[in-house]
Amino acid sequence: MSELVLQDVSVRFGGLKAVDGLSLSLNPGEILGLIGPNGAGKTTVFNLITGVYRPTGGQITYQGRSLLKMLPHQIVRSGIVRTFQNIRLFKAMTALENVLAGRHSRTRVGVVGALLRTRVQRQEEQESVARAEEILRFLGLHDKRHELAGNLPYGLQRRLEIARALATEPKTLLLDEPAAGMNPQESRELMDLIETILERGVNILLVEHDMGVIMGISHRIVVLDSGRKIAEGKPAEIQSDPRVIEAYLGGMSAGGAARQPEG
Amino acid sequence: METFLQQMVNGLTLGAVYALIALGYTMVYGIIQLINFAHGEIFAAGGYIGVITLSFLQSRGVLEAHPTLGLVLAFALAMVYCAFLAVALERMAYRPLRDASRLSLLLSALGMSIFFSNGMMLCQGVYDKAYPIQLYSTGQFTVGGAVVSYIQVYIFVGALILMIGLNLFVNRTRLGKAMRATAQDKVMSALLGINANRTITITFVIGSVLAAAAGVMVGLYYGSVRFDMGFIPGIKAFAAAVLGGIGNLTGAVLGGMIIGMVEVFAAGYLASEYKDVFAFIILILVLYFRPTGIMGEQVDDTRV
Amino acid sequence: MKTIHRTLTALLAAALVVAPGLSAAKTLKIGSLSPLTGPYAADGNDIRHGVETAIALWEAKGGVPGYDKIEYYPQDSACDGKQAVSAANKLANLGVIGVVGAYCSSATIPASDVLNEARVPVLTPASTNEKVTERGFKYMFRVCGRDDDQAKVVAKFLSQQLKVKSIALVDDKTTYTAGLAKNIKKFLKGTGIKVVAHEHVNQGDKDFSGVLTKIKATRPDVLYMSLYNPEGNLMAIQARRLGLKAVLMTEDAVYHPNYLKIAKKAAEGTFLTYGQPPSEDIPEVAAFINAYSAKYGQPGSYSAYAYDAANVLLSAVAKVGADDPAKLAEAIRATRMQGASKFIQFDGKGDSGSTYKVMVVRDGKFVPYWDPDTGKLY
Ligand SMILES: Nc1ncnc2c1ncn2[C@@H]1O[C@H](COP(=O)(O)OP(=O)(O)OP(=O)(O)O)[C@@H](O)[C@H]1O
Ligand SMILES: [Mg+2]
Repeated sequence: MSELVLQDVSVRFGGLKAVDGLSLSLNPGEILGLIGPNGAGKTTVFNLITGVYRPTGGQITYQGRSLLKMLPHQIVRSGIVRTFQNIRLFKAMTALENVLAGRHSRTRVGVVGALLRTRVQRQEEQESVARAEEILRFLGLHDKRHELAGNLPYGLQRRLEIARALATEPKTLLLDEPAAGMNPQESRELMDLIETILERGVNILLVEHDMGVIMGISHRIVVLDSGRKIAEGKPAEIQSDPRVIEAYLGGMSAGGAARQPEG
Repeated sequence: METFLQQMVNGLTLGAVYALIALGYTMVYGIIQLINFAHGEIFAAGGYIGVITLSFLQSRGVLEAHPTLGLVLAFALAMVYCAFLAVALERMAYRPLRDASRLSLLLSALGMSIFFSNGMMLCQGVYDKAYPIQLYSTGQFTVGGAVVSYIQVYIFVGALILMIGLNLFVNRTRLGKAMRATAQDKVMSALLGINANRTITITFVIGSVLAAAAGVMVGLYYGSVRFDMGFIPGIKAFAAAVLGGIGNLTGAVLGGMIIGMVEVFAAGYLASEYKDVFAFIILILVLYFRPTGIMGEQVDDTRV
Repeated sequence: MKTIHRTLTALLAAALVVAPGLSAAKTLKIGSLSPLTGPYAADGNDIRHGVETAIALWEAKGGVPGYDKIEYYPQDSACDGKQAVSAANKLANLGVIGVVGAYCSSATIPASDVLNEARVPVLTPASTNEKVTERGFKYMFRVCGRDDDQAKVVAKFLSQQLKVKSIALVDDKTTYTAGLAKNIKKFLKGTGIKVVAHEHVNQGDKDFSGVLTKIKATRPDVLYMSLYNPEGNLMAIQARRLGLKAVLMTEDAVYHPNYLKIAKKAAEGTFLTYGQPPSEDIPEVAAFINAYSAKYGQPGSYSAYAYDAANVLLSAVAKVGADDPAKLAEAIRATRMQGASKFIQFDGKGDSGSTYKVMVVRDGKFVPYWDPDTGKLY
């Protein structure tokens, strides 16, 4: 059974159709690459899945249930989490606190518990910290856990974003250009990391401009251009698809170097 | 020297009250960038619930026998009532306007302030309501010639406990972290599973509970409450929050203390009628040199 | 121009004084000045009604001896100096023998300039500004109290009854409280009582710890709180809490049950000055209230003063006639009369005394303490 399914999904911003009749599915145990020139609508797809934007048409389901009626924090609870293309850490909180913020949906003690410092509360707090430290160790950030997120070097900030996302205990991880700004060494480590996450039973939707990364680890690839799906297939098929080459060249010559900032 | 010490005691008491109120302003501003003008009225409502509770107990003859119990009940009921008031306020006046312009939100806050203040006037009358303070404010002692009454000690220690509690809550607990996360980035927090609406409600509730406590303290300290009692302390506490760096908890406490001290020392050593002017001059001077307030940028880790 | 005008007025007045002696049927003309239109019209009409009530009662008794009838000329002085002057000229020209008015001090002062020169007695029922009777006018009288009455009583009480050495004053800068504090200072001069502090606070202030600590350091025998009710309540509590031992004294604006309810123990022993209205058991008071309310409804704040002013005037005429203004003024000055507003007795300046008494808070109640007229305890 497909885990995440988009059916004929569209969204428009004023006159612009940012996503236009897109259908795709992400299966269990799969890494699905999502590529396309700048402004193709990749990040918008993430925003649609996670409930930041509402589609103007189509259906999005996760494990058979529609996501359209859910609020972003409820979608996270159902198991989907994302990272951002441009880093959005809580810069004024430590690395550990960032990861603990990610634990929010997996813990439950409320105001009363916190005020009374009940045993349940203390136990939960301890468990949460233990889990968070484990995740930080997994991503090689353990010794930086008490540093302010904003003070970490860029590469580590990227990792911390992933750590924080993993803290929500996702079953599906949406990564938006995780390799952006990384050197080849860091990119390679990232690929290893993504594969390890996959092995732990998390399927992944990956947006990436680094063709080495995307072709190296994706099982399948969907190509977007101007909000439409123009191709879908195995990496090797995509690489030789003339429509894809055309779209990329066209996109480049239209001055695509200028990146869209995103919400 | 004796006078100086006495003024310190006066200033600390007044400052503690301002600090408690300022925390509510700063927390709400931190999380939804709203100056909650109705906060002063919530403080006043707390004062009223306190006097209503105590007067009721007194009329039943319970208060004389159990003054401490009465006090606990007065604080508890004031805090609970103001918590509900805050939830209603946020739901009805602010949440529907969350995506509207900042100006609409501000106007709504001003409107609620006027509404609450007039509502209290209609329900409770225009005259001051007396607190049965004779039970609580009798004892005092002297330190180096300065008279310190027990009620001042209670206010200061009470405020301190509440502030430390708040600090622990914000920094150590799950909901506290959620508050800080939401204050920094609402969208990102939602995408990590944090319910923004709930977190915002909790922030209002906590700020209002502190204001309610301050309201009862003020009633006990000054001996009476009045429907418009929230206005001037509200403005001063707001000034304190801005002075400390709005959105910053430590800043709010610091700002409250500074405003309280300046006021008392200006009254004591300069001219009493201009004490508020001095407080605002300090505010303007600080903002001139540090537009973000004293704690504005450096230590924003306690920002909520 | 002005001198010519005044001379003419004086000549005319002199002619009129002589004139009545020539005619057989004598008409007594009296006038009044008060705002009959505009924002103060309510008070102004109360004044007119007070005068009308007095005239009606005299007529019921058979009129003023020596006169066939009384003619009354109520004039609208607004609350305006210019209009009051022209109304005063008009009254002088009409040949009135006395005027009740005006209402605003700013109208009474210029109007009485004209009338004093024309030797027409003026009795104001409402102008409390000190200056009204401080100009040495022979024909100017005041039936109401004056702004500094209370201050006089305070100074007298402190120096003659309490016999204290020092005082600290606090006011809230409003006209009333600041004026009171200023006057107390003035009347304390020469009594040997030292003003060790004079502080100002703001209306709406709640915390006075700063200013009280400052005052405490000056060790005053008395703290005089020239404040309104909420601030007075709060200051009393805070003063006692700070351990200020001074005697507390305050004014009529704090005379309110809330002072007792809120300040509680801290209020005990506070002295207050308070202008007591006369008891309705006094026959003169009852007679006025009955006659007035039968025709005009409940008396306003100035109705009784206007009624008394007219009565003082008509009684004096009944005694010495109105042919000689100097004699008439003398007779007015000699008045000893229980009025509807108070017991009226003029001093050399033309003021008729105040109703202020010193009260004390004892066992949670306001109790009369000292009578400034007799200088004795109750
Ligand atoms: N909130 C919005 N309002 C208006 N237009 C938007 C909004 N979000 C995205 N767009 C537009 O939708 C189009 C798709 O943007 P999107 O960010 O999804 O592209 P992308 O494929 O992620 O590009 P990149 O590779 O640069 O990240 C762009 O033209 C963008 O300007
Ligand atoms: Mg993008």
